Amino acid sequence: MTLTTALTRRLGIRHPIISAPMHVVGGGALAAAVSAAGGLGLIGGGYGDSSWLDSQFDIAAGQRVGVGFITWSLRKSPPLLTGVLRRKPAAVMLSFGDPRPFVDEIRAAGALLICQCQNIDHVWDAIDVRADVIVAQNAEAGGHGALRGALSFVPEAADLIASHAPQAILVAAGGIADGRGLAAALTLGAEGVLVGTRFWASSEALVHRRHHEAILEATGDETIRTTVVDIARQIPWPRGFTARVRRNAFTQRWHGREALLEQNVAVEGPRYRRAFAEGDPDNTGVWFGEAAGIIGTISPAAAIVETMVQQADAIFRRIAS
Amino acid sequence: MSNALCRRLGIEHPVLLAPMAGEAAKPALAAAVSGAGGLGMLGCGYMTPQAVRDTIRAIRATTDRPFGINLFTPLDWTADPEKMVAYRAQLAAAHADLGIPEPDIPNKYEESYAEQLAVILDEAPPVFGCTFGIPGPDEMAALKARGILVVGTATTVAEAVALEAAGVDAVAAQGAEAGGHRGSFLVPFDAALIGTMALVPQIVSAVSVPVIAAGGIADGRGVAAALCLGAQAAAIGTGFLLADEAGLNMAYRGALQGGGVHDTVLTRAFSGRPARGIRNAFLERLAGSDAEIPDYPVANAMSRTMRAAAAKAGRAEYLSLWAGQAGALARAEPAAAILHRVMAEARQALVQAL
Repeated sequence: MTLTTALTRRLGIRHPIISAPMHVVGGGALAAAVSAAGGLGLIGGGYGDSSWLDSQFDIAAGQRVGVGFITWSLRKSPPLLTGVLRRKPAAVMLSFGDPRPFVDEIRAAGALLICQCQNIDHVWDAIDVRADVIVAQNAEAGGHGALRGALSFVPEAADLIASHAPQAILVAAGGIADGRGLAAALTLGAEGVLVGTRFWASSEALVHRRHHEAILEATGDETIRTTVVDIARQIPWPRGFTARVRRNAFTQRWHGREALLEQNVAVEGPRYRRAFAEGDPDNTGVWFGEAAGIIGTISPAAAIVETMVQQADAIFRRIAS
Repeated sequence: MSNALCRRLGIEHPVLLAPMAGEAAKPALAAAVSGAGGLGMLGCGYMTPQAVRDTIRAIRATTDRPFGINLFTPLDWTADPEKMVAYRAQLAAAHADLGIPEPDIPNKYEESYAEQLAVILDEAPPVFGCTFGIPGPDEMAALKARGILVVGTATTVAEAVALEAAGVDAVAAQGAEAGGHRGSFLVPFDAALIGTMALVPQIVSAVSVPVIAAGGIADGRGVAAALCLGAQAAAIGTGFLLADEAGLNMAYRGALQGGGVHDTVLTRAFSGRPARGIRNAFLERLAGSDAEIPDYPVANAMSRTMRAAAAKAGRAEYLSLWAGQAGALARAEPAAAILHRVMAEARQALVQAL
């Protein structure tokens, strides 16, 4: 069974599903598994650890995978991109910042340019740089993002792209974790989906077992958009972006008291990192989105891809009949 | 695209006019949507009991199709004197700018819910919607005894489960994108801002009654997506605001058709309860002093004179410009044309996706 769209044709893949390049979580094993299952896996470029990235590309060897970067962070270490491009990624995704400084280098390396957008201004930026794929990332998403909800952002971006950049392909991200979300995204005007949280909850994701247990218990009511995880890690995210994480003791304690956390970061920072390393689900960031409530298993990525496509196909058949 | 909920409601298309209270709550709008095969719902929470009755009768005089009336479930609130003084000072500056007399303290803050509900039970509209809470067991029994279908509004899975347990016939899942007032009643507002894409399938999985998707839906692609997510219908609010029958004042219409429609925010500035609207000067001015805004409905009643004068004077900076995140998809057309276009778009979206 395949679900053919403009995205599958352009990328030469079987299913219109891309795995989000999740920092630390989206390693070579996950990206390779998604690509092997007929989607496109993206390795998380994160904040710039070139040896980690190299090792993940080694793990994914033999599969056609891509990579994603946090654009504002990449500006601080451009050689990271140069190094990754030597690994011949199928695509490079840029998110959270002005893509312009990197566009020429990505194109020259023969990789497809994917620009992820959080608002209409970002979509204009992506159109300006003639991105091959434009991802509309919705507020439902886990991890970093912004405030536009899927139901209006995706069709609005689709209209803009249809009239100003018809060659570009729109992909929806955020809140999509099963075939219902895939089908909804396609009807909203997207040609595919970029999936984070569902693959975060996959066997191949580099996520602590106890964090996986936490998502299986959570409903989508139990997340929050906040800056406290970035303050604790001392990562200077630009204004306008927040991170969606599990609502837990850590967020309850600090969300709304950001200035105090900043003052105490010498103590709280290491505490956060230690809790993260130990897989403590309560005293650190647990990075999943609002789709948590429709995720009931930790499954292999291939099964996730297959189930999503089958379910979407069944929905279209049911509604069409 | 009919389904079990459509048959239950007696409508042809799985689209509801979201129950907007205030300026857009015009009988002609609901009647036009119902007449075209959707379900016209009006938010009558701000109306006197007599006006609720007149509204129901006006809809019935125009169409014999089903329609719905929505009320605000009463909330606990206090008229905090200190907050009222601070808020009145903000209003006074606006009044001076608008050239109208200084703000009065209203003699009442809200209409009697018991009397409004008595009218509902008497007139028996086909559908009753509740926002901000759950009708009590006696009220629910009385509504059922009159053959009225009850739709509750949920912003979280827990609220949907509570509504189902109380006996509602359908749950409207209001995502964070929605314009106007948030329906949250079990958790703090900032803990109940779940996007429609994530909220709808979770509520569909958690309850056995039909689910209506609301928030961010203003065209047929959104309706088709809602059905894919497992909803049996979609509610469109902002997408009907530019309908001829909504008869919005020109300043509000202008704001919806201007660039600011992309910039909506949640604010308590106008009513004391978080609601999504287009950013303007008044809400910006109060953005830093949220703690000084009185509870709903106190602030709502206090700001009414300012808003009415601003509407008359065409001053959008003092209007509550309620709009959801899909405002840019709204079109100025007659309501029936909007509904027919939306349905054609929905069919096309599904055909293209197949």
